[in-house]
This record gives sequence, C-alpha cells and structure tokens, in this order.
Amino acid sequence: MPASAATTWLDERREQAVAAYEREEVPTWRRSGFWTTSLRKLDLDALEPRRYEPLDQLPPVVADALGEDDLGALVVQRGASTVHAYVDPDLARQGVIVTSLELAVEEYPELVREWYMRRLSHEEGKFPAATAAFWTGGVFIHVPRGLKLDKPIQSVYLIDEPGTAQYAHTLAVVGETSECSIREYCLGAPIEGQALHAGAFELYAQAGANVQLAHFHDWGPGQIHDISTKRVEIGRDAHVGWVPVHLGGRLIKQTLDIITAEQGSDMRHTGLYFTERDEHLDLFTSDKHERGHTTGDTVWKGALTGNSRASYEGLIHIVKDAQETHTYLQTHQMLLSQDAKGDAIPSLIVQTDNVSASHGGTVGELDEEQIFYMTSRGLPRSEAVRILVEGYFEEVVQRLNDEGLQGLVRRRIAEKLLAAQDQVNRFIGERVGARRMPEAAEKEGAAA
Amino acid sequence: MTLEIQNLHVRIEEREILHGVNLKVDKDQTHALMGPNGSGKSTLANTIMGNPNYEVTEGKILFNGEDLTEADPDERARAGLFLAFQYPATIPGVSVANFLRLAVNARREEPIKVKEFGKVLRENMDLLRIDKAFSSRYLNEGFSGGEKKRAEILQLAMLKPEVAVLDETDSGLDVDALRIVSDGVNALRGPTMGVLIITHYTRILNYVSPDFVHIMLDGRIVREGTAELADELEEKGYDFIRAEVEASNAG
Repeated sequence: MPASAATTWLDERREQAVAAYEREEVPTWRRSGFWTTSLRKLDLDALEPRRYEPLDQLPPVVADALGEDDLGALVVQRGASTVHAYVDPDLARQGVIVTSLELAVEEYPELVREWYMRRLSHEEGKFPAATAAFWTGGVFIHVPRGLKLDKPIQSVYLIDEPGTAQYAHTLAVVGETSECSIREYCLGAPIEGQALHAGAFELYAQAGANVQLAHFHDWGPGQIHDISTKRVEIGRDAHVGWVPVHLGGRLIKQTLDIITAEQGSDMRHTGLYFTERDEHLDLFTSDKHERGHTTGDTVWKGALTGNSRASYEGLIHIVKDAQETHTYLQTHQMLLSQDAKGDAIPSLIVQTDNVSASHGGTVGELDEEQIFYMTSRGLPRSEAVRILVEGYFEEVVQRLNDEGLQGLVRRRIAEKLLAAQDQVNRFIGERVGARRMPEAAEKEGAAA
Repeated sequence: MTLEIQNLHVRIEEREILHGVNLKVDKDQTHALMGPNGSGKSTLANTIMGNPNYEVTEGKILFNGEDLTEADPDERARAGLFLAFQYPATIPGVSVANFLRLAVNARREEPIKVKEFGKVLRENMDLLRIDKAFSSRYLNEGFSGGEKKRAEILQLAMLKPEVAVLDETDSGLDVDALRIVSDGVNALRGPTMGVLIITHYTRILNYVSPDFVHIMLDGRIVREGTAELADELEEKGYDFIRAEVEASNAG
C-alpha cells in the first residue's frame, strides 16, 4: 500500500497493534467445567497471507452459496486480496459506498477514520491485535442517512488454499433512519491442511436506522480456524436484527457483542450452530445495555453430531443507570450423538435497578414423546428426527427474513443431518434400548 | 375383524398396568372404553399405537390378522391404525399443513399433488370449523386444549385410518367444541372406519353413540355391553360397578 498523508493515522494504529501483537501470548480460553479452547494444534508459523489477482467469475464455493440472490453490492475477499467488488449503479448514485476497506482508506479517509475501530481495540488479545495490525483487503460499507435499500449488501471472505492466513476487517456504518440488509459470508473450500481467518467486524447503526444483519459461516470440512470479534452498536431509536449462523469450521472462537448504546435502541440477536465430525465451536455473546429504555432479545440454538464440541456462553450486561431496560436471553443445545459434548451458559450482570432481564438455558436431546407422536402418524423414525431438528432451528431461520439465505441454511442443515443420519438413529435407538434393557434382564431372571 | 387385542399384559417401568385385556373392534363399529383415572385406558391406547415406553409382556395385538405386537408405530400407522392423543406433543417449527402433507405422503407411493392436498385440507378444516390461519401455525404450539383436540381430529380426517383410537378426546372441551369434534367423528366413522372412544365420562357418548361399551377397572375389562351399559354407569357410577364386580368375584 503506498504511504500517503491520508493513511498516516492508520499506519500509527497498525504500529500500536503490532506492538500489542508482539507483546501478547497465544491464548488458551477456559470456561467453567470441562471447556477449553486451545490453539496448540494450529501451526501459526506455517500460515501466510496469500495474494490473488481479481477474478472475472466467482469461485464455485461462492457462486454456490450466493445462488441467484439479487444483491445490491458484493465484495469478495479471497485470502488476503479483494478479488471482486460490485455496487449496483442505483445504489452508487444514492451515495452508498461498498468497497474494500483498503480502497476506502484512500478514497474516503475522513469517513473511515471517523468510525474505524470505535468499538474495537487492538488491546483485546493476540488475535484482535493481529487483525488490527495485519488486515488486508477488508470491507467498507457506508449507507448515507434516509435511504431504504431493497437488495442486500453482501461481503464474502473465502479461504480456498491450505496455509492461508486471512486477516479480515469489515467496517459498516448505516446512517440515520436508513434501512438495509447486510450479509457477510465466511466460506471455505474443502482444503487439505490448515488455515486461519482472524476477523474483526464492526457495525454502527445510527439513530433511527433499521438493519438486518446476517453472518453465515461455512468453512467446510478443511482445517480452517476462525478467531474473530464482531461488534454491533445500536444508536438512539435504532433497531438491529442480527442472525449469526455457524455451519462449519475446524475450530471457531468468536466473541459477538451487541451494544444498545442510546435510549430507545432495540436489538434482536438470534443465532444457530450445527457442529459435526471433530469440529470445535466456542462462542461468547454479550448483550450490553449502556443506556436506559433499551430492549433486547437473544435466542441461540445449536445441535451437535459426531464427536464435536460446542460451547455457548451468553451474557446480558446492564450497566449502572441503564434503567428501564428490558431484555432476555435463551440458549438451547441439542445433542445428537453420544460422542458430542457441549454446554450452553446464560449469565447476567445487572448494575442498576428497575429493569427486567431474564435468561434460560437448556442442553438436551430429542424428545422421545415427540418422536412417538410423529411416527404414530406414519413417518419413519429417521424422517421424524430430521423434521424435528429442522423444526427446532426453524425459529432462527425465520428470523433471517431473507429467502435466499433461508434456503441456503435449510439446505446445509438437511445435508448435515443426512450425513449424520445413521449415527443419530443409533444414538436415539440406544436411548430407548437403554430404558428397556433393565426390564428385559429382569424378565429373564423371573423366567429362570 | 380389524383390530383384535388378545390377553394383553403391559407394563411401564416396573409395574404391570394391564392384566390380560381382550378387545375386538371391527371397522364398521364404534366402541367405547370407559374407566376411572388410572384404570389403564391410556396405557391400552399407547400400547395399541406402539409407544416404546410401554412393554408388552404377554398377549398380542392383531390388525387384519397381522401380528403388530412388536411393530414400530409408523408401521402400525401405515397399516391403518390411528391414535388421537390425550396430550399431543408440540412440534415447533413444523406447520399443521406441512406436517399433514408429510403424514399423508408417508402412506402413499406417489406424493399427493399440492392442489389436491390443499383441497382435501380445506374440506376437512371446513368440516371441523377450523379457521384457515390455523394450518400455518406450528403444530400444537400455543394451542388451546380445544385447538389441540381439533387438530387431532383434523389429522384423523386427513389420514383416514381403518381403526381410530380416541384417547380422552372429550376431556377439556366446552360444549360447543365437544359438539364440533363429535360431529367430525360422526361424519368420519362408518362402514370403513372403526372407532374406539376412550373416556372417563359418558358425555361424548350423548353425541357419538357407541355400538359396544366396555368398562375397565384396574387394568381389566370388567363389564361389556351395548350403549345401555353407559347409561347404567352414568346412573350408578364406577364405585357401584366396582362393588358389583368384587361381590361377584367373591361369590
């Protein structure tokens, strides 16, 4: 990148981040109970940012995920490079900016500088520092005030070669009273070998804005590690509906924070995950209320197959003086394999009074009464299980409010369930068997 | 002969609940099985449908001559058995219409055409005076007691079994809802659909009149007769019947 007066401030920020990166150790994350997320199997020194030339055609993994969706803008980053950028001319005419963050720093230095890392810091550990120090490409989205966009703004991060280190940074700002939908996809080709996505995402929804935000992660069956921080700030009387979806990745460690920063701000945070094989997923979300008269609603649902591990911790944090805050958080986790392990932990910090905050968490298995009910209508057991799991996720899928993405998520869940079908049936069959077995033993005893 | 239950002994966990039940339901008959709470009525209903929590230790369940004692619930359903649940499970994320289409297709070779399915569903919803919006709600989620029972009878109407067991379908219904559900059952029963109405009270039998009445006490059928037996029970109560049975056993 050529050094210019416009980017001096950024160089300084990067230098500070490099210093933090060098100072910090590679962390190991521990949570109460059995949970540990460790990167000791990740050979960081073997990874490097890979540069690519722009592409005329979308890579197959990306084309497949986007399907026929009608997009208002699209930025695709492959490895370390932005390989595709498109903005609908109508949107461009209205002043909507969607481009790589690298270019935005050059072309809109003041605008980027105003928002860049307002709510993120390079002082949050090794990987946030690395991302702040080394990001390339990146995505910048700016929707000026008073616009209502019909088509989603799309960003894509793609990793399709082993050995890749992708340091990613998306900065999105939605102006006052504007309405739009933003989708970010993290996609991996089925690579053989390790790779890293270290990401930062920040969204600022200004007063009165209404933003539908989706994150779709499907890193595929390769050894892709994703260590990211995503933060959303909601301004006065603004609303953000945020739906993160996790459908694949060797190891994922993400912190997702949503901040209702001004009076009247409202957030709806609804996520899902489905882990399989030896995947490891570690999610921490926080719903932070910094002002009174704000509202929140968080629901996370997960399912685990294979010998995967998934841990979700969701925090509601209501700071001092944020009175008249109303929020709740629910987390559910469904085990579909005897070898999978997980937990779902809701927690609460309330530093004021006159608020309502409730939370709940369940970890469970499929309900045998539900399966009996469905099979009594003629559905084979395996189909009943599939329909129940799909139905379990449907509440979250509905909140995506986006047909193309809903189709993609439903398709991927169905594929994963099909792949795990034998294992799931065995697991559920064994549980029924286990209940019957002592009786059978007793019967033999009585006969003898 | 359609459904035949022979000397059925059933237990749940450690306890035997049914101690040798015999019952025959032809597909042109309506039977009522009556008994107080805890007499084993629901155990019989669940066992007929193959609930894996109930274990048959002796006896047989035959359907059209075929032994279904060990069959999975879905096989029984496809053979033509149906159970309207006393407490139907909630199926989040699956709409009534979607579930019904899946269930209808489970017993067909070729999936039903969307148009034809829509037509049949509308007709049956009209029959049961169910609001159109109902079909897009998630099955039993947030349903009132009456809505759940109507949803059960709607499934009965869509699946057209040969023998239907109605487990306490009348409980928790107000008079209007009971009449709607009974009208539905009356419209569906007949030469090709036998019905076994399981109930505590005689109330539903004022609307759906049975050909045969069986009284169950403590896991055994103790009295059998025609519709007049229900009137006798209404007049005398279960305690009187119990005393009568005990007296005859002692004698």
